[in-house]
Amino acid sequence: MTSGKLTGMSGLLDCSVRIGTLQLENPVMPASGTFGYAEEYAAFMDLNRLGAIVVKTITLKPRVGSYPHRSTETASGLLASIGLQNVGIECFLEDKLPFFENIRTPLIVNIGGESIEEYASLATSLDQQSRVHGIELNVSCPNVRKGGMHFGVDPEVLRDLVSHVRQATGKALIVKLTPMVTDLRPFAEICQRHGADAVSLINAPIGMAVDIRTRRSRLGKNLTGGLTGPAIKPMALYCVWRVCRAVDLPVIGIGGISSLEDALEFFIAGACAVQVGTWNFINPRITLDIIEGLEKYMVEHRIENLSQLRRTLVEEVPKVGTHRKWSVGVTE
Amino acid sequence: MEYLVTKNERVGENGYRLTLDFSKDDHPPIPGQFYNIRCTGEMDPLLRRPFSMHRFTKENGILCLQILYRVIGKGTEWLSARRKGETLDLIGPLGNGFVLSERTDVVLAARGIGIAPLCAVADAVRSLNPGMHLHILMGARFKDRVFYLKELERLGTLHLYTDDGSLGFHGRAPELLLHLLETGKVPRTCSLYACGPAPMLMELSALSERFGFNGQVALEAHMGCGFGACLSCAVPLRPASIKKNASWTKSALQWSEDGRTCYSLICKDGPVYDIREIDWNEWLA
Repeated sequence: MTSGKLTGMSGLLDCSVRIGTLQLENPVMPASGTFGYAEEYAAFMDLNRLGAIVVKTITLKPRVGSYPHRSTETASGLLASIGLQNVGIECFLEDKLPFFENIRTPLIVNIGGESIEEYASLATSLDQQSRVHGIELNVSCPNVRKGGMHFGVDPEVLRDLVSHVRQATGKALIVKLTPMVTDLRPFAEICQRHGADAVSLINAPIGMAVDIRTRRSRLGKNLTGGLTGPAIKPMALYCVWRVCRAVDLPVIGIGGISSLEDALEFFIAGACAVQVGTWNFINPRITLDIIEGLEKYMVEHRIENLSQLRRTLVEEVPKVGTHRKWSVGVTE
Repeated sequence: MEYLVTKNERVGENGYRLTLDFSKDDHPPIPGQFYNIRCTGEMDPLLRRPFSMHRFTKENGILCLQILYRVIGKGTEWLSARRKGETLDLIGPLGNGFVLSERTDVVLAARGIGIAPLCAVADAVRSLNPGMHLHILMGARFKDRVFYLKELERLGTLHLYTDDGSLGFHGRAPELLLHLLETGKVPRTCSLYACGPAPMLMELSALSERFGFNGQVALEAHMGCGFGACLSCAVPLRPASIKKNASWTKSALQWSEDGRTCYSLICKDGPVYDIREIDWNEWLA
C-alpha cells in the first residue's frame, strides 16, 4: 500500500486527485497552521503516506505572532490567535525546506502578505524551488491587523491578488477562503476566472470567549481569534456544498474534520480533497487514520474511484410513499 | 499510546494521584517533562490536557508513572473518575526537564498543585547526592488547600505558608523564601526549583537576582498540541538571558525581525526555563 492505489475486491482503487499540475495519490492533507513545518509530525507517522503536506503560512519577514494567551477552548472548538508566527521565507527556504528532500509527498506552501507585491514576491521565490509543488494563498487569516482577511473579503482586491500571483508562478495555485462573507460563491468564481487551480475552504471564522470573572477576553490582549475544530464542521460543509454547486473548480474541504466519516461528508458535498486541521493536535496520526479508513471504505463499498463518491449528495426529496422514511408526514 | 490505570487515589481537597503501568514504555521521563492526556472520549473537552510527571517509580516490581493533579474543570473531572483497569491515551514525555543541580542546598518552591513536578526533582537530586539538604516551600491560599504534607515531610525540610496565615508562615512563597534567606535558614548558594502561578514565579525571579542564587521554573500554559505544532503556548523571553545547553536546545524560538522580541514555545523549549529567562512583565501584561 505504498501509493493511493491498491488492489481491492473490485480491482484497482484510485484515490488520486488532480489539482492543476499537482497529482495527489490520495485526497487527505493537513491544514496549514496545524501541521507546523511537518517535521513536528515525523515522530508520529510516515509523512510519505499523506496526499500532500501543507505547511504553516510563510510571510516575507519573520513574525513573532500574537501576544501570549493565544488559545482557549470553547465547546468542541479551539479559539486561537497565533497571528501568523513564522520564520519568514528566507529561513524557510534555508532551514525548513531541506527536511522535505527525503519525503516524496507533494509540498504545498501557504503564503500570506500585507500587499499584493508581497504575495507575488513570495510566489516568485517559491516558484524557483523544485521541492515546492503548490502554493496556497492565505487571504483569510483572522488574526493579523494588516493584510490577512482583507484580501479575502474584497472581490476586487482578491481578483488582483490571484491574477498577480498566477503570473508569478506555474505551480498549482490554491486560494484559501474565509467564510466571513455573505456569499462565498463570487469569491470562488473570481479565483477560477483568474487562474487559481483550486479553492480551499473554510479558514477559521472569527470568534470570542469572555472570562466573566475578569470581564476580559479569554484570549487576553488579542481579544478575538479564529474558531476551529468540530464546532465549525456544519458551517464548513455548507460552504463547500454551496461553492461546489456553483463553481466548476476543485474545492478542498476544511473545517472540523476529525474522522473518516467527516471526510466522507465533505466528499459527498462535493470536495475533491480534504484538509484536517485541529484534530491533528488531538490525534497526530489522524490524517493517516483517515487515509487508511478511506481505502478500506472504498473496498467495502466497491468504490473504485474517488470521483464516484464526489458530489453525490441526494438533494431531491423522494415522492410520498417511495421510501419508508418519507412515507409519513412529508407533504410535496 | 494507551496505558493501564493501576490506581487513581484522592490525596486532598480536589487533589488526585494517578498511577499508570509504564512497564511497556521505553522512554523514561526527566523531571519537569510532561504528558498530554486525552481526558475524554468525546469532543468536549476537546484538547488533550498537559500533566507533568509527578514520579516515576517501581510498584510491586512494575515501572509506574504517577501524575498528581487537581480537579479544576471538565477534563480533570473526567480524569478523576477513571478506575483501575481502564486505559488512558497519553502522548509523551514531552518538553525539556530540569537540569539537576549538584549543589548541597536545594529549594523546591510550590503553590498548590505546583508541587507535582517538584517531587520528581526531589527524587532525582536525592539519588544524585544522598547528602543533599532539601527545603520544600509548600502552601496555598488557606489551610484546607494545603495538601500532600505527609509525602512532602518524607522528602526534606518542609516550610509551610498560607496567604491568610491559617497554617505555617503568614504570606506567600516569595515572602517565605525571603525570610528563610534573611534568617540564614536557607543559604544564598542554594538552587531553586519552582512551580506555581506566574506572579509567584516572577517574584521568585526577582529574589534570585537580588540574592544571586540559581533557579529554574516549570511553566504552565494552555496548550493546543504539546509538541510544537499549534504555536499556542508562546512565552516571551528576555533576549539577553536566553539559556541554551545540551538539554535545552530551544529549537522553537521565534525572533522578531528587529531581534528585540523572542517568543519561545512552552511545550517544546520548556516547560522548564531558567528563572531569569522569562520576560515576566511582557508575559503577565
